[in-house]
Amino acid sequence: MSSIDYPRFAVVGHPNKGKSSIVASLAMDDAIAISDTPGTTTHKACYPLRVDGKTLYELIDTPGFQRARQVLAWLKRHETDASRRHEAVRAFVDAHREDERFHDEIELLEPIMEGAGIIYVVDGSKPYGEEYEAEMEILRWTGQPSMALINRIDEADYTQEWKQALSGYFQMIRTYDPMHATLSQHLKILESMAQLREEWTPKVKASIVLFERYHAMMRERSAAAIAKLLNRALSHVERLVLKEDEEVEDAKKRLASRYKQRLRSFEVETQKRIEYIWNHQHLKKQQENLRLEVLDLFSKESASVFGLTRKELLVTGASSGAVTGAGIDLVFAGHTLFAGGIIGAVVGGVGAYLAFNELADIEVLGKKIGRRSLQMGPMQNRNFPYILLGRALFHTMQVAQLSHAVRKSVNFEMDENFRQKWLTDARRKQLEKYHKQFRQAKQIEEKTLAEYEALILEILDGLLGYEK
Amino acid sequence: MDLKSYLDLYALLQQGRSSREERRAFGLSEAAKGKEAHKQLYAWVQTHQGSLPRPQASQQIESALYHATLLLGAIAFILGIVTAAGLLNYSGKAPVNLVYFLGVAVLLPLATMLLSFIAMLRANQVRNFLVHISPAYWLTRVVSLFNPKGGVSLASVPLNPLILNWIIIQRSQLLALLFALGILLGLLGVVATRDIAFAWSTTLQIDAAQFHAFVETLAFPWKAWLPSAVPSLSLVEQSHYFRLGGKLSEEMVSHAAILGAWWKFLSMATFVYAVVLRFGMYLLASWGLSRAICRSMPAFEGADVLLRDMNEPLITTHPNEAPPTSSVQEERHYKRMQERVAASYDAVVGWAFDETTLHALCDAFSVTAPYCLEAGGNQSLEEDARTLERLEGEVLLFVKAWEPPTMDFSDFLEAAARRASKIVVAAVGTPKEGYLPNPRHKAVWAKRLTLLDHSNVWMFR
Repeated sequence: MSSIDYPRFAVVGHPNKGKSSIVASLAMDDAIAISDTPGTTTHKACYPLRVDGKTLYELIDTPGFQRARQVLAWLKRHETDASRRHEAVRAFVDAHREDERFHDEIELLEPIMEGAGIIYVVDGSKPYGEEYEAEMEILRWTGQPSMALINRIDEADYTQEWKQALSGYFQMIRTYDPMHATLSQHLKILESMAQLREEWTPKVKASIVLFERYHAMMRERSAAAIAKLLNRALSHVERLVLKEDEEVEDAKKRLASRYKQRLRSFEVETQKRIEYIWNHQHLKKQQENLRLEVLDLFSKESASVFGLTRKELLVTGASSGAVTGAGIDLVFAGHTLFAGGIIGAVVGGVGAYLAFNELADIEVLGKKIGRRSLQMGPMQNRNFPYILLGRALFHTMQVAQLSHAVRKSVNFEMDENFRQKWLTDARRKQLEKYHKQFRQAKQIEEKTLAEYEALILEILDGLLGYEK
Repeated sequence: MDLKSYLDLYALLQQGRSSREERRAFGLSEAAKGKEAHKQLYAWVQTHQGSLPRPQASQQIESALYHATLLLGAIAFILGIVTAAGLLNYSGKAPVNLVYFLGVAVLLPLATMLLSFIAMLRANQVRNFLVHISPAYWLTRVVSLFNPKGGVSLASVPLNPLILNWIIIQRSQLLALLFALGILLGLLGVVATRDIAFAWSTTLQIDAAQFHAFVETLAFPWKAWLPSAVPSLSLVEQSHYFRLGGKLSEEMVSHAAILGAWWKFLSMATFVYAVVLRFGMYLLASWGLSRAICRSMPAFEGADVLLRDMNEPLITTHPNEAPPTSSVQEERHYKRMQERVAASYDAVVGWAFDETTLHALCDAFSVTAPYCLEAGGNQSLEEDARTLERLEGEVLLFVKAWEPPTMDFSDFLEAAARRASKIVVAAVGTPKEGYLPNPRHKAVWAKRLTLLDHSNVWMFR
C-alpha cells in the first residue's frame, strides 16, 4: 500500500466525455488541456488541493478507455474467484505496464489500484450505449468506492436513461455541469465525494470549508485590486515637459493621449491581476476598451517648476530673496536695517514671477533647471470613477463566475442595466466620499483605503450572491 | 525602520522573484508570524535584501544623500561661523549689540522650529509649502550631483510624498543644527580671541528692568544650575547702550571690563535654544520619518499582495508538473469521401448498435445487404471475430457519430480492412437527430480515419 494519507479521486470514463473539464472545474485550473478532439489527455495528471503545502485531497485526470472490451476479456480469463476480482485487475496492471496497447487503461487503472476513489464521467446529452458496460464492469472489478457524474455537454437530455444504466454499477450518481457550475454545486460534489469512504470524510469536509474561505479570499483580493485601481486612476497626474518652442495645443494632445493610455493600462493591469486571483490566467476574452474620448479629462493646465504653481513659485522666490538679503544684513551686522531682506524678497518674488515663462532659458551647471510643463490629472470628471468601477465590477463578476473548463474566447459585453444592479443613490454617496479624497492626489490613509475596499467587497458580494 | 529598508523593499517588490510558496512560508516563520504589517515587511527585507543586485540602489541613494547632506551641512556650519563672526564684529569704538545675536541665536531658531513643527503636522500634504521653502528641499536636487553615472537616482524611486517631506524636514533640522553649532563655535572662538564689550540697544521703549526680566526668562532652563550665566540686573543696567553722537557714556566706559560677562549667557542661550532644542526637533523629525516609512511601506505597489500572500493560507490545486498532452493534430480533410451510400453492400456492420437499430438504419438509408452484422458494444471479442470472418467485398460500417472512435474500433477497422475490398464508414446521429450527424462529431471521425489512412476505407460525407 502507498503511504499517501489523503483521499484521491480518479476521474475516468469514455474518451471525450468531459473528464478534463470536470477536473478543471473542481480544481479551478484553467491550464488543463481540454479540446473537442478525443485523446487530448494522454497521461494521468494529479491535481492536489493543498493548503500551506499540506494535501487535503487529490483529483486525477486520466485518459479515456480505449480497449475496454479487451481488458475485460483478459480479466475474465484470469479471474479465480469472484471475491478476488480486484486482484485480477491488479494483475492486469502489473502485466501490461509496459504494453503500449493498454497505455491509457494502465494510466487510469493504476491510481485506482493504489486506492483512489472513482469518479466516472458520462455525457448525459448523448444516449446510453452498450459499449459502456465493459468500462463500468472493469471499474466494478476494482472494488474501489465510486460515483458517477452525469455531465450534459449538449442540449439533449438522456439523464434518466443514464441514471438507470449507472445505478447498477455506482454507489451514487450526481449531475454536474462543469461549464456553468456555481460554488455551491462544486461544494455539493465535494460533499458526495466525502461520503464515498468514511475515512475520507474529515479531509474532504475540511476542504469544503477551505474552498469557501478560498472564494472569500479571492473576493477580498479582487476588492483590494479594484480599490487600488480607483485610487490610482483618480489620483494619477501625468506631466509633460514642453519642448522648446513647442505649441501648447500640440503638447496638450500628446499629454491627453498619454494620460488616457495610462488610465487604460491601469485597467488592463487590474484585470490581469483579477484574472490571476481567480486562476484565469489563460482567459481569452473580448471586451470593449475603456472609452475616454467623451470625457473632458483636462483638469488642470499649468506651467510648473518642480511641481510648484505660479503662486507657489512667487512665494518661494520672495522667500529665497529674503534669505539672501538677510545674509547681507547679517554681514553688515544689522546696520542695513533689514533693507537687504526686504529688497531681496521683492526682487526674488518679482524675478520668479517674471521669469516664470522663460525658465527654459535658465541654465545651471549646463542643465536647465526650469521648464514649461503641462499637467493632466488628478481626474476631476465626476462620472469617470463610476464608469471605471462599473467596468471593474462587471469584469470581476464575469471572471468569478466563469468556469475553469471554458477554453473558448468569452465575450465580456456589459449590458446597460448592469449599473442599476449595484449603483444606488445611497451607494453613490458612500463612494463619492472616497473618490473625492482620491481626486485630491494626496497620500490616502491605509484605514481609508481599507474602508473603501470593504465597500467594494460589499458591492461585489452582492453581485455574486454572497450577501450577508 | 530606515530609508534603506524602504528602498530595498521597493527594489525587492520590483524584482518580484519570490513565489507565493516562499511568501507564505515566510509568513508562517517566526520572523513574521503575528507581527504588524510594517514589521513583517521589514523582516522580509532583512531576509531577502541579499538577493538584490550589487551595488544596491538603496546604497547608492543613501550614499548620494549622505554626501549631499555633508556638503550642505558643511556650508551651513561655515555659514554659522561666518554669521557669528558678523554678528560679533567689534571695532572697539562701540559695543556689540547683543540683541542681534539673540535674534539669530534664539528668536530665529524658535521661529523656524515653529515652522518646522507646522510642516511636520502637515507632512501628509503632497504640496507642502513649508517643505518647499526649506533649504533642505534643494537637497533632493543636489543629491543627483552625487549619483554615479548610470546609478540610481532619488527621482527614479516613486518615493511616497509623505516620506520625501519627512526627509526634507529631518535634513532641515540637521542643517539648522549644524548652522547653530557653527554660531556657537563662532561665538566661543570670537570670545576666546577678542575682548568684546556687549551691550544691548533697541529703539523700543524697554528699560533695564524689563530687559532683565526678558533675559531671565530666556535663562530659565539653566538658571538653577548655572547662575553665573544669568545676567544680573546691574549688568543689564550697565550695558544699556544709547547710540547718540557716536560716543559712549562715561559710565559705560568705566564698566567696560564687566560688559564681556554677557558671553556666558549668549553661549548658553545659543546652546539651549539653537542647539539642544534643535537637536530635539531633529530627533522628533527622525521619529516622524521612521513612522512615515512604517506607514508607507505597506502602501508600496505590490506590498499589499505580499502581505496577503504571507498571511493568508496558500490554497493551490495546480499539478506539480504540467502533464504532457497529445500534440495538436493538423486539421486535414479525409481524402476518400463517398458522396452517397450505395443501394446494396455485401455486408452492413453496426459498430455498437443493437440488431433492431441496425435494421432501422438500413431502412433509413435504403440499404440492402445479405448480412447485417453487429460488432463492438457489448459483443464479445469472439463475436467480433466471427463478424470479421464474414466480411468480404464492399462493406457499409455504421458508427455512432457522437461516440468518438476508440482504439477498440481502430483495431476492428484494421482487421476489417484486410478482409473487405472497400469499407464505407457512415457516422450517424442519434435517432432524435434523425440520424443526421453533428458536423463537429463527423470531423472527429474524419480525423481518426485520416490517422489510420487505409486505402480501402472511405467515409460517407
